[in-house]
Amino acid sequence: MSQLLDIDGLTLELHDGTRLLDGISLSVAPGETVGLVGESGSGKSLTARTVLGLVPERSRLGGRVRLDGREVIGAPARDILDLRRHAAAMIFQDPRAGINPMRTIGDHLTETLRRCEGKSAAEARARAIELLADVQLPRPEEHFDQYPHEFSGGMLQRVMIAGALTSSPKLLICDEPTTALDVTTQAEIVRVLVELRERRGMGMLFITHDLNLAASLCDRVVVMSRGRIEESGDARRVFTAPEADYTRRLIEATPSIAVRSLDGGVEPDASSRADASGRMDASALAGPMLEVRGLDKQYQLRGRPPVHAVVEAELEIPRGGSLGVVGESGSGKSTLARLIVGLEAADRGEVRVAGRERGAAPHGRAERLAHAKSVQMVFQDPYLSLDPRIPAGRAIQDVLRLHGGLDRAAAEARALELLEAVGLGERHLAARPKTLSGGQRQRVAIARALAIEPDLLVMDEATSALDVSVQAQVLDLVARLREERGLTVLFISHDLGVVRRVCERAVVMRRGEIVEQGPSDRLLREPEHPYTRLLVDSVPRPSWEVAA
Amino acid sequence: MALDSRTVSVAAREAAAEAPRRGRWSAAGVRRVAGKLGGLALTLFLASLLVFFSRFLVPGDPVSFLLRGRKPSPEAVAQVTAQYGLDLPPWQQYLNWLGGALTGDFGRSLQYRQDVSTVIGERLPVTLMLVVMSGLLIAIVGLSAGVVAALNKGRPLDRLTLIGLTVLSAIPSFVGSIVLIAIFAVQLGWFPTFGSGQGFGDMVYHLVLPSIALAIVFVVLVGKVTRSSMVEQLGREHVEVATSRGLKRATVIRRHVFRNALGPILTVSGVLVAGLLVASTIVEAAFGLAGIGSLLVQSVDRLDFPVVQAIVMLVVTAFVVVNAIVDLAEPWIDPRSAAGASAR
Amino acid sequence: MTTPTPTLAVKVLRAPRAHRTSLVFAIACGVVAVMTLAAVFAPFVAPYPPDAVDFTAVNAGPSAAHWLGTDGLGRDLLSRLVYGARTALLGPLLVVIGSTIIGMLLGLLAGWRGGWIDAVLGRVFDVLFAFPSLLLAIMAVALFGKGLVAPVIAMSIAYAPFVARLTRALVKAERTRPYVAAYRVQGFGGAWIAFRRVLPNVTPIVGAQSTLNFGYVLAELAGLSFLGLGVQPPTPDWGAMINEAQSGVAGGYFLPAIVPAVAVVLVVVAVNIIGEELSDRIGGGVPA
Repeated sequence: MSQLLDIDGLTLELHDGTRLLDGISLSVAPGETVGLVGESGSGKSLTARTVLGLVPERSRLGGRVRLDGREVIGAPARDILDLRRHAAAMIFQDPRAGINPMRTIGDHLTETLRRCEGKSAAEARARAIELLADVQLPRPEEHFDQYPHEFSGGMLQRVMIAGALTSSPKLLICDEPTTALDVTTQAEIVRVLVELRERRGMGMLFITHDLNLAASLCDRVVVMSRGRIEESGDARRVFTAPEADYTRRLIEATPSIAVRSLDGGVEPDASSRADASGRMDASALAGPMLEVRGLDKQYQLRGRPPVHAVVEAELEIPRGGSLGVVGESGSGKSTLARLIVGLEAADRGEVRVAGRERGAAPHGRAERLAHAKSVQMVFQDPYLSLDPRIPAGRAIQDVLRLHGGLDRAAAEARALELLEAVGLGERHLAARPKTLSGGQRQRVAIARALAIEPDLLVMDEATSALDVSVQAQVLDLVARLREERGLTVLFISHDLGVVRRVCERAVVMRRGEIVEQGPSDRLLREPEHPYTRLLVDSVPRPSWEVAA
Repeated sequence: MALDSRTVSVAAREAAAEAPRRGRWSAAGVRRVAGKLGGLALTLFLASLLVFFSRFLVPGDPVSFLLRGRKPSPEAVAQVTAQYGLDLPPWQQYLNWLGGALTGDFGRSLQYRQDVSTVIGERLPVTLMLVVMSGLLIAIVGLSAGVVAALNKGRPLDRLTLIGLTVLSAIPSFVGSIVLIAIFAVQLGWFPTFGSGQGFGDMVYHLVLPSIALAIVFVVLVGKVTRSSMVEQLGREHVEVATSRGLKRATVIRRHVFRNALGPILTVSGVLVAGLLVASTIVEAAFGLAGIGSLLVQSVDRLDFPVVQAIVMLVVTAFVVVNAIVDLAEPWIDPRSAAGASAR
Repeated sequence: MTTPTPTLAVKVLRAPRAHRTSLVFAIACGVVAVMTLAAVFAPFVAPYPPDAVDFTAVNAGPSAAHWLGTDGLGRDLLSRLVYGARTALLGPLLVVIGSTIIGMLLGLLAGWRGGWIDAVLGRVFDVLFAFPSLLLAIMAVALFGKGLVAPVIAMSIAYAPFVARLTRALVKAERTRPYVAAYRVQGFGGAWIAFRRVLPNVTPIVGAQSTLNFGYVLAELAGLSFLGLGVQPPTPDWGAMINEAQSGVAGGYFLPAIVPAVAVVLVVVAVNIIGEELSDRIGGGVPA
């Protein structure tokens, strides 16, 4: 069978000799979906872009890339244009960046039809509206004249898909098309993609870092790492019986909501670990560590209806326990975290940490220090949550000296202890954030939070900016610290799999309201609230498990 | 007061997508325009306070300030006092001045013994012509330099343009004037050294060198902003998307890069106008042109404060009005600003 | 929801290409250093006193006695150039220091506190922006008389809003960064965070901009002297020298005008190169 896309021994070198792609070979047959998976920096997006001739300036390409029977590498500009117009189209990761914000949706859709295919304005408009209906946007006629900023991310991604389909491509390249989206929106977009694939018989090259997503919709997968192919083959085979070490590690690191794990046994999760430690029972007598009662917060915006970010929230975490807060963007989970750590003041309700009222935003030095001693927080983006100018050791020492009144030498010794506790060492004392990797930065942030020895640690999407393997390491660290120190954790995340791994219990938030709470496993296995069920069902799972 | 920006933006977008399509002349749009015009009036009002009451910063009595360098004969003192109402309380003096200024009456020049507005009116055409010629030059040279550099980013042509712009940026208008006079007027004799000529064609001919001297520094401003704005847009993902769809490079550049880069260029143009008016003082002095710039310098030199006040107010007004126009034009450049959504 | 992080492909496709400008940068620093030293040690460097008249050489070209020739009154151009560097450099230095201090403090206040303070200061800046710096300086001369003092004060005020607006924008951007929230959560006070952490973080970018301002101010103050409103003869000053040499230009004596003109251009180019290189190295753009 002749291949739609056939890449053979593709290499790519920058003008300075850095080799970014090394011997990439893969193929896509008509109607087939091939997944290209790997962590950031693996070269998967770059590989996909070479198919459309989108390569860095002054780079050298080697090998062959045949698209629809025609060679791409070294092809004249006219042929490349023709391939882009008729053979293949691409959907990009971030629809908000990918659609010109200063032109209308209609312009985006009709641009190529009018300028490349020479269609009249009316013809192009009719076709565009047809496509908008195809991607299931509610009011195509109206959307035609709207601007991108009036759309939500999910709607925009549909527009992007419709735009890619204007050329009726034989191959659709999807570069992380759902990464910027919420899980329920992701499920909708994937459904649209799958339906269009069936209807049009397109081949698809699907790039993603999410193994579960790849497993849910790909026939075959190619695993990439550092510009090389680690393994490729039938999706089910690769994910159930990986041959390469790298693939195996990647699969182990990927949090799953399925209660079954690789070797058929039960994946060690938070509840089993916490039970084993036995610490919970002893301390549970002293009352809950965190108690949130009737917490309420509204934002007033000029000229818009008020946003009710948190509605009458009720939470409780026992001493040494951990609670996950799950929700999509806009669910109010981050606001909840900010209210608890005192970054913002609630309109109503109370927050008690270890029995002490911590609801109000702190005023004055003594209150600030007391509040800090009760709650600490680890933020989402480790690239932004560390002061770029302050070395890791110094950041921790500042906190120690603010709270403990330690002298310089004692603070330095203690800072080193803390860094060692999170798996870093002496050489990181003087390291500035920009010389550290994302995982290392997040470890510094954790060490800094632990320096105060807080009663409660709030982690706000603390691992979502990290690659899965790094995320797994950080999650292991949190588990270990909990065991060693009896840390109480409030863990906020959009990712059900991650929450299940860290927390015994979880709450589900939607539009500021807590819709359901209970043990994490129970929420995943037998969700009661329809929204929780939708959330659980939206998480992609391998096609063979769904079929079974 | 850090809002949870994600919560808010998601809510706002959902509301926007649900709401029926708004026209450009919606209630919000009218409110925006009204707000801008209010801001314009307020800024002008505050500026007029500054211009008028600056005189009161000078120690000593106002009569002797206005009559500095002139014989303070009792008649002159009486005349000035009466003419400017110097015996009135300051706020009443201000209201008189403001009322006059709004109707184009800025009082009488001490030096020319004519109405200030007449004196300025005679000088205005030369300055306006100079500014217009310079503006055209700046637009053509600055835009093309910026576009050429951006499209060749990192290549020799870009570096050459950047070096050229850096050197030009260090040539103040008085240096430019002297060099242009020395080379093209004195040495080669192609252009006149002095005056603004008679009639339209002759005036254009006389103003060639002055407008070049005036344009130099501003060409750099426009060139650099154009380049950096274009370069920024070239790196945007929507440009890559447009390319991936098979549009010709020229189409992508025109419809997506240049179009989107216009905002900052327009903003700079707003600042340009006042800058040109002020810098024309130097060029007019160097080329002996009878415009309002040289009038300003003469009036400062001859202690003719009413004229100074009037010219300062005129330039400030020009600046504020042009910037307000640029502001109001923004929704046509960037639809996001009309919706109040933060740009970028 | 995951924040989309730039993937390798994106980084490679959009990486700004680093270019080597260190040699040019070094030369620029050298020019500024030489000029500064010449200004400070003028009496030791200059071959003649600045107003010594040589009647045997009027409008003379370069010679062994007068390396750069003489002006229409027979004064040695090199000596006047060296002495003129004093006023040429001192004025801009004072303006840059003054405007940077005022601007950074007001910008920090507006950006950090926000609310009505920000609104009021923003309006004040808007009004001051409407007065181009040269215009404000000319107005100051009209009020307080010719010389360097009034223009320097006026220009410090005129440039302060530029510094303030930049500082405000940077501070506002920093304030929303999680690292600031992290300091708050750790119990640090607002004033400590603002002055000890945020201010030092924005200082390099503001400093680079102030360096660029130095060049503009130098050109404008020289322009003011050229108009006869700034430094007054017989004090040697580059702008005033060009002014005095104007009549000579029409008669074909270019050197007395060209020499100070070249000096102005040289210093401004050097300062601009230094400023641009600094802001490139810091890599912090102005947040829009």
